[in-house]
Amino acid sequence: MQLKNALPAMRQIGTPLAAATCALLGHALPREVQAQELMPWDVDASLLIYSESDGRVRDTSLNARARKELREEKFLDLTLAIDSLTGASPSGAAPASTVQTFTNPSGNAQYSVAARAPALDSSFLDTRTALSATWQTPIKRLSLLSVGMTLSDEYDYTHTGVNAHIARDFNNRNTTLSFGLAIANDSIDPVGGSPVPFAPMLGLGNNTNKRGDQSKDVTDFLVGVTQVLNRHTIVQLNYSLSESDGYLTDPYKILSVVDPLTGNPVAGPVGSGLNRYLFESRPDSREKQSLYGLLKRDFDGNVLEASYRYMTDDWGVDSHTVELRYRWSFGENRYFQPHVRFYQQTAADFYRTVLFNGQPLPAYATADHRLGEFDGLTVGVKYGQATAHGGEWSARVEYYTQTGDPSAGSRVGTLAGLDLYPDLNALIAQFSYKFGKR
Amino acid sequence: MKELNIRRGLAAVGALVLLNGCAGVQPWDRDVLARPEMQIVSDPVEAAADDHIYFSKEASSGGKGFGGGGCGCN
Repeated sequence: MQLKNALPAMRQIGTPLAAATCALLGHALPREVQAQELMPWDVDASLLIYSESDGRVRDTSLNARARKELREEKFLDLTLAIDSLTGASPSGAAPASTVQTFTNPSGNAQYSVAARAPALDSSFLDTRTALSATWQTPIKRLSLLSVGMTLSDEYDYTHTGVNAHIARDFNNRNTTLSFGLAIANDSIDPVGGSPVPFAPMLGLGNNTNKRGDQSKDVTDFLVGVTQVLNRHTIVQLNYSLSESDGYLTDPYKILSVVDPLTGNPVAGPVGSGLNRYLFESRPDSREKQSLYGLLKRDFDGNVLEASYRYMTDDWGVDSHTVELRYRWSFGENRYFQPHVRFYQQTAADFYRTVLFNGQPLPAYATADHRLGEFDGLTVGVKYGQATAHGGEWSARVEYYTQTGDPSAGSRVGTLAGLDLYPDLNALIAQFSYKFGKR
Repeated sequence: MKELNIRRGLAAVGALVLLNGCAGVQPWDRDVLARPEMQIVSDPVEAAADDHIYFSKEASSGGKGFGGGGCGCN
């Protein structure tokens, strides 16, 4: 079917999609609004594919956003995201010069990993549905209040959250100060139960190392200033603080216990037939702070967007993120937009590629690469084109790569010849459509 | 050192506000700034997708704002 013929049909989807999102949220529209003739919704929809090489994680994601002016300057925003995740995820275990066998999180199956190969758990499979609703209203002439709720559900994880945000304009609307607060409660119900920290992985059918459900609370605070510098330039600076309390451990991640001289795995619990792997342990609180700066500048219809974020937390992670986009407009209604993102983080204090047999356990330890020291690079391009109906379609392709280092002192014996921090390479492809109002 | 960095940043915010206290672009000169691509978040769907990807793969998150729902991926 030609895209041109498909567009009117796609436009028809807009209102039902918004209504369906509304119904999913259990959100009844106010009576006075029902009585009015319904104004069209602004609807954006996209299909995103995130695919890592070597059979690792693949996410197919459908995203939709619907926005409607309920009354003058009062808006309702609804978002829906459905993610379908498949593939294999690193378990945290180090590679070894021999075949390694692991018990699945459920405890009722096992899988093996070839000698020298990265330890990937191929039982990774999940579907995530996330919804949000935000209501925005002006307060007096210069302030804008928005309140919202967020929900997401996975097989083993549920999130509920509320948020509020207030912004006030100053200086003839050239300066905007904003404050935001978000509170969330997440519950975690891992497959097979949540492991006791540092408990050893056990053999088939033995779940005595697992406990029940867990939860965590997250509070986010944000203060920001947006400043118009001149007719072509706007800047923003935000400070944010995030406090997490509760179960912050990844229930599926383990660490290998190896001989401190040979680097080889050591035997696990008697009768299990496994090497010694311990479930990870993280602190039960985390405080993150970040500073984020953004500059947007118009150059005769082309737009430069540059941003920088510095983040630091009390787990010892410091990170720097720099992003650049340049939207180059050409023709009547087309644009081409290159994008580059540089990311760099230090390791958490308790990041350990392996634990050594015979040495006392640290208070906390994780071998999760995401808490290790690494550099990330994203390069991509996006092409967009307005349609005759007042809409716009766009497509982007990006390549994301991570290269990192194992923790200091972990390259002992046979481990010296193995890849202790395999590179991550992922392709991101997204097709988006903004439905026109005409 | 970290605290110092944060304080410096906040001081920069204050300076920015003060310096621009009497400057400004008049409402009738907002044609460029009013264009969709000049908004702070010009493509919310793409921004949400990116936040979700990087939150899942890196130890950092936030900065721009919040919302969109939690995730068991990190």
